[in-house]
Amino acid sequence: MIVQSRRKTYIGIVLFLLPVLVLYAMYFIYPLGFVFVTSTLDWNGVSAPTFVGLENFLENFRNPTIQLSIRNNFLWLFALGFVQIGFAALVAILLARKPRGWRFLRTVYFLPNVISQVAIAMMWAALYNAEYGAINQFLEMVGLEQWTANWLGQVETALPAIMVQQVFYIGYFMIIILASTMSIPESYYEAAEIDGASVLQQELHITLPLIKDILVTTMTLAMAYGLRHFEATFLLTNGGPANTTSVLGIQLYKMLSSLDYGHANAVGATLVVLGVLVIVTIRALGRRTSAAEGMQ
Amino acid sequence: MGRVKGAVGTDSGIAPIIGTVFKWIVLLFFFLFTFLPLIWLLISSFKTNLELQTRPFAFPEAWQFINYINAVKISSLPRLFLNSVFVSSVSTALAMLVTSMAAFAFSRERFPFQQGLLNLIIAGVLVPIIALMAPYFRLTNGLGLYDSLWALILTYSAINIPISTFLMYGFMKTIPVELEEAAVIDGASFFQRFSMVVFPLSRVGLVTAGTFVFLFSWNEFIYALLLTSSVGSRTLQLGIRFFTSQFFTDYTSMFAAIVLTIIPSIALYVFMHDKIISGLTSGALKG
Repeated sequence: MIVQSRRKTYIGIVLFLLPVLVLYAMYFIYPLGFVFVTSTLDWNGVSAPTFVGLENFLENFRNPTIQLSIRNNFLWLFALGFVQIGFAALVAILLARKPRGWRFLRTVYFLPNVISQVAIAMMWAALYNAEYGAINQFLEMVGLEQWTANWLGQVETALPAIMVQQVFYIGYFMIIILASTMSIPESYYEAAEIDGASVLQQELHITLPLIKDILVTTMTLAMAYGLRHFEATFLLTNGGPANTTSVLGIQLYKMLSSLDYGHANAVGATLVVLGVLVIVTIRALGRRTSAAEGMQ
Repeated sequence: MGRVKGAVGTDSGIAPIIGTVFKWIVLLFFFLFTFLPLIWLLISSFKTNLELQTRPFAFPEAWQFINYINAVKISSLPRLFLNSVFVSSVSTALAMLVTSMAAFAFSRERFPFQQGLLNLIIAGVLVPIIALMAPYFRLTNGLGLYDSLWALILTYSAINIPISTFLMYGFMKTIPVELEEAAVIDGASFFQRFSMVVFPLSRVGLVTAGTFVFLFSWNEFIYALLLTSSVGSRTLQLGIRFFTSQFFTDYTSMFAAIVLTIIPSIALYVFMHDKIISGLTSGALKG
């Protein structure tokens, strides 16, 4: 053990913790308190606020745009949590067998995570553009003019268009799952092969059970991102057309821009609560299935 | 034998062939999805606007380097770039300094409420930062920092405290205490144990956490949008948003500007992709 003057050491500890604690209080504790308190107020940020209880929440949940935004947030949650993680796991399992060029592929798949969401969104705005976008031009070139569309401007295509642009960038979660998959000892597979198990059987009965924990972790993260979704939608459609692509983050920003602090922070509080609920639920489900398997 | 060489070649019959075809279709699809849009953007950025419409998938007749000159002229890119470099570097330095100090105290000493405080700080990773737009806006105004680069620096460092504390604490736990005991015998103080022993030994942890904070700050958009208004305190990411109005119908020059904003990230990634990947994913891996 380290023995030193205790008084001096305590002063040192306090001084070393102080910057982090002050910043944490300013940027986490105060803001969370602010969001929950003001969510119960009728307030424009300037004049005297009045207490309205849960009225802001009730009004928000009755507001069709907020309803649509919550639905879209859950669509994002499922798209990222199941579709994106599903693809990421599939590619990770394929790459773990080290096919030709797997290092190069891994590096390319991860590339979009280094580029900013803003630049990526501007690129996709150009790809989807109705007059000069590559997607319509490609459809015309191969004789599918009837499929061309104003992708981001039409009610039917806008939301799927933004989702495609996010869901197929699998690199981030793929790398996390790949690291876990590659740590499975080679001998498990050799033994299975001697027993005559096919590649598919090996992946289903060896790989999947052993990477279950990391799948739960990445799924939780992806779902949390689904609730926090903002940038791509803000830049590609700003919630339009007719609010069909709106999410809670967009509505929070719009309400704040019109100085409606009460309703804006009721949206903020909803986001915080939903975020915690999602994480707790997925964790609990993950543990339940582990326990069930243990009993078999 | 085993997973790497695979059973594909040893089995007979049609199943392995279908498996191989399926595998390459999947791998190729995600490769093209990532790669083709970037290549299209790059090649289009050298075209005239007429060519963009008339010959979408051909190389340009003459490579229009002028687009890149226009891009720099119209978008004040150098200024945006310097702002981003400044904000990201200072945010990273600040976050690394304060969180490594806290992590040192947490990993080396015993004091009341230690575990509770550590858990509280790390639990901050669960907060959806996007929900805190209103308080961050008021806080920044209250500090008199609205529309300055320091508004972003303070916000980015603070947002990254939970993840960096978590990473630095985890790293410092792995540094043997014996090294410090030797220093203590030589008369090192609390501060010297940090500055002369633990901090220098934490280089790998600092690079990992620092890469995370730097890329977060470099790519951040929402708070740059909310906390600044004038051109002088605009970062690169916020600047990109104004390209559509600045370039109006000169699309290919706008593409050139977007390419210029992407190049530094890709260049850095090419040279240090292993560090960047571990920096960006280690939070999730250890969580």
